[in-house]
Amino acid sequence: MDGQAGSPWQQALDKVRDWARINSPWAIHYNSGSCNGCDIEIMATLTPRYDLERFGVKLQGSPRHADILIVTGPVTRLSRERLLRIYDQMPNPKFVIACGSCGLSGGAFRGCYNIVGDISEVIPVSVYIPGCPPRPEAIIYGVVQLLESLKRRNAPAVNLPRQEGAPA
Amino acid sequence: MNNLTVHPLIGLLLFPGGLFLLASGLLYEWIDRKLVARFQNRVGPRFIQPLADLVKLLAKEEISPEGVNKPLFFILPVVALAAALTAALYVPMAGFVPAGSFRGDLIITLYLLSVLTLCLGLAGANTISRFAIIGATRTLTQLFSYEAPFLLALLGPAIAAASWQITDVDFYAQQHLWMAVTQPIGFLVALVGLMGKLELPPFDSPEAETEIVAGAMTEYSGRGYALFRLGKNIELVIGLTLVATFYLGGLANPVQFLIKTLGLLVVLAALQSLFARLRIDQTVGLWWRVGALLALAQLLVLFLLR
Repeated sequence: MDGQAGSPWQQALDKVRDWARINSPWAIHYNSGSCNGCDIEIMATLTPRYDLERFGVKLQGSPRHADILIVTGPVTRLSRERLLRIYDQMPNPKFVIACGSCGLSGGAFRGCYNIVGDISEVIPVSVYIPGCPPRPEAIIYGVVQLLESLKRRNAPAVNLPRQEGAPA
Repeated sequence: MNNLTVHPLIGLLLFPGGLFLLASGLLYEWIDRKLVARFQNRVGPRFIQPLADLVKLLAKEEISPEGVNKPLFFILPVVALAAALTAALYVPMAGFVPAGSFRGDLIITLYLLSVLTLCLGLAGANTISRFAIIGATRTLTQLFSYEAPFLLALLGPAIAAASWQITDVDFYAQQHLWMAVTQPIGFLVALVGLMGKLELPPFDSPEAETEIVAGAMTEYSGRGYALFRLGKNIELVIGLTLVATFYLGGLANPVQFLIKTLGLLVVLAALQSLFARLRIDQTVGLWWRVGALLALAQLLVLFLLR
């Protein structure tokens, strides 16, 4: 995953890896304190009407199997630890999508006594999807933007080294 | 009527072992997912989807969680895949003569197919994740419930052919009326037993996503998960081949193989999208109260009519 583009063999391998990564984005969904509006829209996105399995998107239950963490809502003080834990449990390379106005900025809850802030204050975010709540089309557009940036190899890669003592 | 033969080395590396099996496993997974999607009025995944999933998982980081026995954690997926691949040597894949064949290879094949499930159960019990442990318990419970009826159902044709060698049963099936017609109960039990073996809905309580995350597979990431998935796909192909050989008049050539296994797969996909998940106690009850008794009744009729 570190791109030392050297031998043609290495380049070909990288190409195969990128192709597979773009064509098989598995997602996990976490609600870090949202009002459930965005969650309902995410559920609607996964229904047969929009059928994301066409593009290889699958909702996974376990963070160990997922590539993309879709987070909704502002981060509350209670859910901060959980969010960090889920993020640490995901294998590299991993990407985060912040979904909804609250995830972008804290939204209506910004400044509340129980809110840490927006998602990017806790974990690195690759793509922001605005809207309150965003429509399923907007969510699909956001995922496509992430995959496009993967294709261009300039996704804000978040391959941070695993922290010492983090739950592995 | 005669099956074709292949050189042993080719049999091991290319066909029917190795590459052919991997490719057909991925192909059958795609067909299964596509059919279920079409039954649910969706478009469904693209042709290359299982391959993309596999390559992506292989290229991902593999985390070994805290509290596991590391050698066991890494060796289990390999053993599971190897067992599934080995089982393919004794069944008439694509209508060819099996690469290896001896008296009693039916039992060996069935046990090799169970090794994958055993590995799954061990893999779940190896971690300290509660979801994985519950998943492992359910996997093994289900193993004990479907295994006996499935074996009894496959014994029916073997007894009719008076041989426990898969090739003999294949030849017998080719020369007689389809055993799905003469032994309909056994066919039903074998088909549903195959669904239980592969943990397809409605027998997917061991990996029930809504209750226990991903069951025994919860802690596996990257390579290990990819190998387990691949093993399961191969088991799907082998299971379909076995049932088609025994109950659908044998497999004489690749065309018959394709038509019969794909026909069975359509039925499996329809059943998958038709039924909701059973609880684990319902699964066990169904197998022991209905499945085993039906299979035994079938055997009894067979003995009496011989």
